[in-house]
Amino acid sequence: MNLPMLPTTVVGSYSMPGWLERLKTEYFARRISRRDLDEIHDTAVKAAVKDQENAGIDIITDGELRRDNMVDYFVEKLPGVQIDHASKKFYYDLYESKVLGKLPTAPLGLVDDFRFLRANTDRATKFCITGPHCLSKRIRNEHYPSEEEFAMDLARVMNPELKALAKTGARFIQIDEPYYSGFPEDLAWGVKALNQLVDGVEARIAVHICYGNRYGKPTWEGSYRYLFPRILDARMHQLTLEFARRGGEDLELFRELPPRFELGVGVIDVKTQAIETPDLVAERIRKALEVMPAERLFVLPDCGCLHLPRDVAFAKLSAMVEGTRLVREELKN
Amino acid sequence: MILQLNHLQRKPAAATTHEVVDTLYSLLEEGHLEQDQFAHLRVHLDWIQYRQNFRECVTATKVASERNECLFPIEIHIDTRQVTPGVLRDEISKTMMHIGEQSTGEQRRLILEDFRSFRDSIAWGFNRLYWYRLPDWEQFTGRSYQQALPGGKSDANHPAAIADSVADFWTLLRDLDNRKQLPEEIFVLEIGVGMGTRSGLWLDRFRALDQERGTKYYPRLKFLLGDYSLATLERSRPAVREHINLCSFIVLDALNPLKNLSFLRHKILHIHLTNVYDNLPDEEIARRDGKLYAVQVRAYVPSADADRISQEFGTPVAEISRTVSRLLEGGPDYLGDRQRGMTFWQEIWKAMRLEERLLSLDELPDAALPDGLHQDHLEEVLRDAPSEVRFHLSSGALESFRNTLPLLYPRGFLQVQDIFVTKFNEYRLGFHGPGKLDGSIVNWVNGALLREVGERAGYDVHFAPFHYRKGSKTSILYTTQRE
Repeated sequence: MNLPMLPTTVVGSYSMPGWLERLKTEYFARRISRRDLDEIHDTAVKAAVKDQENAGIDIITDGELRRDNMVDYFVEKLPGVQIDHASKKFYYDLYESKVLGKLPTAPLGLVDDFRFLRANTDRATKFCITGPHCLSKRIRNEHYPSEEEFAMDLARVMNPELKALAKTGARFIQIDEPYYSGFPEDLAWGVKALNQLVDGVEARIAVHICYGNRYGKPTWEGSYRYLFPRILDARMHQLTLEFARRGGEDLELFRELPPRFELGVGVIDVKTQAIETPDLVAERIRKALEVMPAERLFVLPDCGCLHLPRDVAFAKLSAMVEGTRLVREELKN
Repeated sequence: MILQLNHLQRKPAAATTHEVVDTLYSLLEEGHLEQDQFAHLRVHLDWIQYRQNFRECVTATKVASERNECLFPIEIHIDTRQVTPGVLRDEISKTMMHIGEQSTGEQRRLILEDFRSFRDSIAWGFNRLYWYRLPDWEQFTGRSYQQALPGGKSDANHPAAIADSVADFWTLLRDLDNRKQLPEEIFVLEIGVGMGTRSGLWLDRFRALDQERGTKYYPRLKFLLGDYSLATLERSRPAVREHINLCSFIVLDALNPLKNLSFLRHKILHIHLTNVYDNLPDEEIARRDGKLYAVQVRAYVPSADADRISQEFGTPVAEISRTVSRLLEGGPDYLGDRQRGMTFWQEIWKAMRLEERLLSLDELPDAALPDGLHQDHLEEVLRDAPSEVRFHLSSGALESFRNTLPLLYPRGFLQVQDIFVTKFNEYRLGFHGPGKLDGSIVNWVNGALLREVGERAGYDVHFAPFHYRKGSKTSILYTTQRE
């Protein structure tokens, strides 16, 4: 599939409607059935796909609307992880979960969700996976001698699923590792686990690293300086980062990013409901172009749009597409 | 009939209960009360700790629809503290006689407004006027607002509490520093600064601790003093004069600090408020027979007081309402001379009462819940609450809370010292407002709701009793980042 210059995409999640939040919570309270919830999810995903198409996004996702949050979706699917189902009161809460023994290998069932996405759009698609470093921070480890070994085994167990996704046609796969920013001291083994996860996966791999978006607010602050030089060891094609909210100061760090890497530049602040103008988006892209040539630049929001109201999310994505169009025109001329 | 005791004061409850039951049976036997009315009566015995408040000894609260028809149940509230020997029978009889009337005893009252949510009541206009014209009020009464507090002074300035608060903050800074996540500029915000005493003490203590530990955080501080009154900010300056180079004075609305400080979104490491939430606009909700009702109010002055004020000021009773509006718009000077205006203000404030009615939440066109709280969320919260309960929505406090949290730096924390109800059950054990504190309003803050709203906004909310002074009713709310 041919992509235009400066392809636009999303980080993963789309606006979670209030009614869907309530229905998810109803499911946890056992007031609606799994079958009903699945049907509701299918409908919500179709709407999210349509919204992204209408906004003009080039590479779309399923909006991650089936996921309660970026962790539990995987925790529920990973064999060998024990979950305290009573620990969740609101759908977005995180389960208390733990591993007591070595993780067995089994299909995770992500391929079905990807197939559903593919069946409902002609656009290029992306599938997002929460990385092993992040998962190892959220699942209590009561078996492995170290976090590193736990993360490496998570990567081993998840790797076949990524290969299956690629075989099913997933061309773009994004690995989300926001906890790198909170635990920069883990980066060396975090990257090793990442490489284990994507080993032999025939797809373009993006790695998304932000400063957290839980409840629509940052979890950490700092500078992306900590990524260097270790991140250059990652077997990835693209780094997807948060720049809109934090300002573009860190952009300079990526001037020397080796040519084998692309940069996904965040131009939409997802932690505020103020809607960017296309001009502001264009200005942010131009700033990124000062350090990275257009052919290696992707345009996207800082993080997922989960916490934004639907109308705001749609308006922001539309502004992003329009701002990108302005820059494409300039580049043509 | 349901008789509900909402307090733990045994003596007044025992005596009053007997008299109430006796009176109601007499009214039934004498034909002043229908059997059906009797069956649907709910009698609440309260003990109102505020010497000045908005209640008469006996008041009736009707369930009303938008069409103003009287529905069941009918509630009678009796303040056992105001009960004096021999008056209860008369008061209950009068109240019950008027209960069937479309407008409860309007001839006995000077009505100052239509029914509305308490947060929109004229009562808050008086509260606003008090804070804007505090120096006038203090001069007129001859005592400061701190002296007017129940204990005669504020717990906000307790040195040990401030030392602990500073120590907690310093520990956070050191931890962030160790993780290389401490920003160059360390922003701290105090909302509602009073005389600036707490800010001054806090800064003194922080400087001392920083010097003692050699961490050099003090020069990096940016200490913001926020208040909606410029006059108050000016009055706070002397208290922080030793630290003036680190201080900024900012006029802001406690209901929405984010509005003026949006440039500091996610940047402030510590925010503190003392006795601000209990003075923000509020309203109440009642659950009766499984249904939710908004408690609507209208302010009035009892006829006897209205007649007395009319004579004292030479203003016809019919003109008092208009004079009140002028007072609230223009202040006491607007009434000819300030002295006269101040006296009128105090007389009306002292006499003013609130009549109540219950309006089903289903009937409100836009269920008037504050941002961040939906009706289904509220119903979820109420699942674990007592089935029959009347509670504060603390809408102003919720609004302020929601509009303050986004200012916090990751791992930064909010600390609020105030009077909190932390469990819904507490609403059945005592009166929690509104009361009158000199010229202002006081309400206990619904901490249980703040906790719920905080969780949805990404913060766990904890309450610690204020153990620094024996008998203190305040607690300290503090937030931690929710995973």
